[in-house]
Amino acid sequence: MTTFKPSRPKHHPRGASRRQVLVGFGTGAVALAGGRALAGSEGDEQVAVAPKGNADQLQRQSFYGIHQAGITTARPAAGLVTAFDLIVQSPDDLETMLRLLTERISFLMHGGETPTADPKLPPPDSGILGPVIEPDNLTITVSFGASLFEGRPWLAPLKPRQLVRMTQFPNDALDRDICHGDLAIQFNANLQDTNIHALRDIVKNLSQFMVLRWSQEGSVPVAAPMEDGREPTARNFLGFHDGSANPNSTDTALMNEIVWVGPHNDEPEWAHGGTYQAVRIIRNFVERWDRTPLREQEEIFGRAKATGAPLGAGPGATEYDTPDYASDPDGAITPLDAHIRLANPRTRASEENLILRRAFNYSNGVASSGQLDQGLLFIAYQADLEKGFIAVQNRLNGEPLEEYIKPVGGGYFYALPGVRDPGDYLGRSLVEAVRRRATSPS
Amino acid sequence: MRLIPVVAASVVASTAAYGLALAADVTLELVEPITEYKIYVAENTEELVKDTEEFVAAIKAGDVEKAKSLFAPTRTSYEAVEPIAELFSDLDVSIDARADDYEQGEKDPKFTGFHRIEYVLWEQNTTDGLGEYADQLQADVTDLNDRINSLTFPPEVVVGGAAALMEEVAATKISGEEDRYSRTDLWDFQANFDGSEKIFELLKPIVSEQDPDFVAKVQANFDQVDETLAKYKTDHGFESYEKLTDSDRALLASRVNTLAEDLSTLRGKLGLD
Ligand code: HEM
Repeated sequence: MTTFKPSRPKHHPRGASRRQVLVGFGTGAVALAGGRALAGSEGDEQVAVAPKGNADQLQRQSFYGIHQAGITTARPAAGLVTAFDLIVQSPDDLETMLRLLTERISFLMHGGETPTADPKLPPPDSGILGPVIEPDNLTITVSFGASLFEGRPWLAPLKPRQLVRMTQFPNDALDRDICHGDLAIQFNANLQDTNIHALRDIVKNLSQFMVLRWSQEGSVPVAAPMEDGREPTARNFLGFHDGSANPNSTDTALMNEIVWVGPHNDEPEWAHGGTYQAVRIIRNFVERWDRTPLREQEEIFGRAKATGAPLGAGPGATEYDTPDYASDPDGAITPLDAHIRLANPRTRASEENLILRRAFNYSNGVASSGQLDQGLLFIAYQADLEKGFIAVQNRLNGEPLEEYIKPVGGGYFYALPGVRDPGDYLGRSLVEAVRRRATSPS
Repeated sequence: MRLIPVVAASVVASTAAYGLALAADVTLELVEPITEYKIYVAENTEELVKDTEEFVAAIKAGDVEKAKSLFAPTRTSYEAVEPIAELFSDLDVSIDARADDYEQGEKDPKFTGFHRIEYVLWEQNTTDGLGEYADQLQADVTDLNDRINSLTFPPEVVVGGAAALMEEVAATKISGEEDRYSRTDLWDFQANFDGSEKIFELLKPIVSEQDPDFVAKVQANFDQVDETLAKYKTDHGFESYEKLTDSDRALLASRVNTLAEDLSTLRGKLGLD
């Protein structure tokens, strides 16, 4: 592996490129969490410079930190979640796999020249990004499912306390072929090709340990800034802005409360710095939705479709205005069963149910019915799975939106703590905890 | 067969950068393993002809139960030589195609061979209408056996065959789609792994000189496959594919993909294009 050399020497540390700004979280998109510097961003441009697309590909997310990237870092346009079963029979297997995975991810996120070999041999890299891989804002986020722990007596005692196999909610029609897994990887990048390249690299290099289970791609559309200069959220496949009320992911203190597991959570110590990940593949019945009156659509969500503003927020309101439920106790303006009102009633008590959503839209061709198979690759992060996703979903059970959506897959996973430096590896704290247990008399 | 040490040393030195050790004339070195492999194939096709005779006789006698019991064991000698199926692809289609190779599926009369017979035996529980297909199968396997002696075995096809069959198992067999009516897939798995391993075994002495770690890893993966399949052995053969647990299926899938990955370097390691 060689060091990555950007083709353009000048970087503007603060000036995030256009797409970075456009698809980021609300107004905080420019400043990345933890002050991570952006490499290769754009300044003023003249005719001769490479097109914007290339500049985006130079954006690099740091692989190192106390948390994994891809959770509170800005969400780029392309997402992919792949779940695997693991062939890991001993702590040594687990360590070997995690070290190898760490090596691949650090290379892929950093970018650089692809290795080559004698032409008589298969090339070590798929080559789909060419001989030099640009980082392209890639993040690769690794998480473990309950089955990894439950199937292995030496791991079982170390399972995060709330990690369970995803259960069926009333409106679900789960398809076992696209549920659960020992391990999930979330790939996020500016281009889907970058995610696919990374997936293929990992599949190629880790076949001894990892068997594919299911995979779902998604994307979010870019959008122009609003009149006041703020960045809108992306729209989902029902045509509504999605993410408006997401907690500010650049607010470290807030994230420590909502997202990151720490000493204040009742979790094994190895898990500190990680977070629960809820993945849901939620089909949208888009033909039916498109045949639904606008007013009904807006009442189902509790927001205006064009602007994303809360209902009744008045002229000029944006998606970042806060709904006022206190002065609307009977739901005359925002129905009591509107999606946003059920998901977050905005009471003192419901503050503990906040979650960080990081969704992508998917389009999977045609369903057996002959209708479009589209939907939401819903991903949420929270420090407390029961108070987070599960509590919110339980409140949403029976919501009017259910007529238009059908959760069909996904799973619960625990995103590992970050890799602190090049001497560290993913899941080290878990491997060490396993070994401590093995040597200490219980 | 071993390289003369002097040659081996100079070869390794000149190509060390690639991790490849090219023999001056690798085809010379491959003469013996390929000859031996040809004998292995010939033994199998001979067995195939004999076993098919018995299988066809049971079908013609209208003995459904006997025909069913002979289906899987008859196939194994064919599955064992599949690494080089590309050398007789015309016969492979008529002997071993599956319904989904045809747009009309089972309705297509061109869907012939083992799986047509399997379909009728298990799905329709009869031998009715199988006479012609049985004759055709007998003629095809006889033709195959007759061809083997005069067939040239290009080294790159034999060496590449070990990986090619693993690719096929990984892509279209591991999920249990091959013997979907009879659920006798585990018989095929064993024969496929054996057939691929045979090639590896014959080449091992050459490869282990330059890359002992590679040889050890591949061998360990073949061994793990054998151990896993051994759990499903019965007095007469193998359990139904349905008995295969999710975790054993995942293990086999991982091993077959890794074997395909590793064996895909075999041609290059031996300097074959
Ligand atoms: C296909 C399924 C879904 C669609 C189309 C959808 C769409 C939306 C939309 C348009 C909003 C308003 C804008 C925003 O604040 O983001 C929203 C808000 C929200 N949704 Fe969903 N959502 C879906 C599923 C879910 C699920 C499964 C959950 C969690 C169990 C969830 C939790 C939330 C939360 C917490 C909010 C913010 C409410 C607030 O704080 O005001 N959503 N969703």
